[in-house]
Amino acid sequence: MKKFFTGLVLCGVLLAGPGCDRDTDRDSYLSGSHAARAEVRIMADGWKASLPYEVPKPGSYALPRVGVAGGGSVLGPDGKELELGELMGDKIVLLTFIYSSCTDFNGCPLATAVFYKVKERFKDDPELAKTIRLISVSFDPEHDTPEVMRLYGEGFEDGDPQWLFLTTASEETLGPIIRQYGQMVIKEYDESGKYKGTMAHVLRAFLIDRSKNIRQEYSVSFLHDQLVTVDIKTLLIEEGVLPGRIDS
Amino acid sequence: MKKMAKSQAKWVQGSIAFLWVVLASAIGFHSTAMADETCMSPYMAKIVGQEDYVYVWTLGVEGLGDEQDKLVTISVNPDSVNYGKVVNVLSVGGRNEAHHSGLTDDRRYLFAGGLDSNKIFIFDVHTNPSKPVLHKVITDFVEKTGGMVGPHTMYALPGRIMVSALSNNVDHGGRTGIAEFTNEGEFVAAHWMPTDENLRGAKKVGNIADGYGYDVRALPRRNVMITSSFTGWSNYMMDFSKMLSDAEAMKRFGNTVVVWDLHTRKPKKVFEVPGAPLEIRCAWGSNHNYCLTTTALTSKIWLIYEDDAGEWQAKAVGDIGDPSKVPLPVDISITADDKGLWVQTFMDGKTRYFDISDPFNPKQTYEHEIGSQVNMISQSWDGKRTYFTSSLLGNWDKTGDMDEQFFKLFSWNGQELVHEFTVDFYALKLGRAHQMRFGAYSLYSQKPNSTGTLLSQH
Repeated sequence: MKKFFTGLVLCGVLLAGPGCDRDTDRDSYLSGSHAARAEVRIMADGWKASLPYEVPKPGSYALPRVGVAGGGSVLGPDGKELELGELMGDKIVLLTFIYSSCTDFNGCPLATAVFYKVKERFKDDPELAKTIRLISVSFDPEHDTPEVMRLYGEGFEDGDPQWLFLTTASEETLGPIIRQYGQMVIKEYDESGKYKGTMAHVLRAFLIDRSKNIRQEYSVSFLHDQLVTVDIKTLLIEEGVLPGRIDS
Repeated sequence: MKKMAKSQAKWVQGSIAFLWVVLASAIGFHSTAMADETCMSPYMAKIVGQEDYVYVWTLGVEGLGDEQDKLVTISVNPDSVNYGKVVNVLSVGGRNEAHHSGLTDDRRYLFAGGLDSNKIFIFDVHTNPSKPVLHKVITDFVEKTGGMVGPHTMYALPGRIMVSALSNNVDHGGRTGIAEFTNEGEFVAAHWMPTDENLRGAKKVGNIADGYGYDVRALPRRNVMITSSFTGWSNYMMDFSKMLSDAEAMKRFGNTVVVWDLHTRKPKKVFEVPGAPLEIRCAWGSNHNYCLTTTALTSKIWLIYEDDAGEWQAKAVGDIGDPSKVPLPVDISITADDKGLWVQTFMDGKTRYFDISDPFNPKQTYEHEIGSQVNMISQSWDGKRTYFTSSLLGNWDKTGDMDEQFFKLFSWNGQELVHEFTVDFYALKLGRAHQMRFGAYSLYSQKPNSTGTLLSQH
């Protein structure tokens, strides 16, 4: 799995080389939706090793409070029931919603790839790595059982920052959670009414501070490990964990 | 359980294998041409194929119909039995100087502003695209933003709407700012324009930093946001003829364009662009690092571009009509291939097509009179359908017989505009037709008379 994922990341980097450096901006769409894709599919910036512009310095800007991070009942990889809200507060949290069978390269795989790269950026600094938790929650409780999520995430469990792969007991449990994050999910059916196993959703990731406030939202053309990292460091400066001051 | 886990593991591995195939083929992946407005935020979900509805944010007119501002829904899908007809009218109570509107990045909500009342109406357009409903009204825009007045552009950012204001509550002039709200309408932050007195870290390229505002657009691939400048409440609510004869009022127009750092929301450069630069439209091509704007009072096309050294510049690159006759260019629309720019001129009611293949040398290649007055345009992503509306501002529209109020569809074959249908907003007692936004069932995996299967919706 880990080997695969290394390949996946490499693939993303390679694809971002000459010949595929196309405009990612117009590739905003409801991920997974056959009905709402842009006319050209382009690898999002998040697959690239570095952003094509100067990344702001940590603390050179403020991250306003966008909203309150929601909670709800989730299931850990061992099937044990957890409260999502209790997985926040002790650390800065980067949260996203995915499903394991998602094959849209600018959808869930992008989120997983960027989370992986964020983890890589912090893992060599044990003190900082302890301040961060990554959480991926499945959109698809029917197929993404705790066991499936365990398999999906088992290659990423090599120390801090911690990365949790969670699911829910049912769509009824999932609904109130994703609603708090403004996430809309539409199951896709073919012409005969048969479920295709795919879902339309807008890719989002959320940066959550230790007061459980959402401080940043990332979408396809915004989700890049460099931006996420600089935002996390901005929060760490705000907390006094890192030196510096916020220039608001 | 063990057996199930094994089969699920196999299923996961199968999915991963498929993912490899997708990734491996990504370089050459193209799908068919789509349709969508070309002037929308690049963050926004896109419509595939034919749009089903156009939502027209409409000013109520005293003595006409219910006199209220309203969201008018028009069926524009030729396959519909209601093609070319108004299928829904949603009045919001009173008149607010309805002006611009914008969809959230997930296209579930339409934000629509009132320049006079400072209210922002949030419509749910996803539950039933044929029949939007009023979801929420923001009534404390001035208070929340610390004194901004006149919510104008509603521009989608990830999970948020950036609202550019036109004025302030101190002198009701043009000094103003931009403000962020969540897709649910909760206030996030306010950012005031750089001024001569407080440049907020920006570099002044010309002689002035007037602090005025109007439109806002972003080029995410360059981490750039751009704003333009118009005029304050004291002018946009004044009678047009009276304002033209008021020398002091005519001095109170914006003359600047500001380039911002998109991620930090910090202004970087203030350019002097004389004559009220209005709509900003950014190119879509991956190497087209430029945006265009037009100046209302000086009738020029300006190019805001990143030079070879990575510095942002502003340059006047062409005239629109005869500037000495002040044709008053208003809304503009760039084609999806960045080769064409539609420019409406309010005074002569014309739309003009400029070849902007070389953005430094735009050339007008076509013009057509749409009506006695014209303002807004929305074109489909494939460029084949162009929609026009007539109203500029309640007190600036023409009067008498020249005050036509319409929504018109023209098809564009690359050579000429062909009229398809007109909805007469006065004959239907609707009001003054202003900004248009597209709706489609396909965005929500719905079909007419179907609501799809939503796991989560508000």
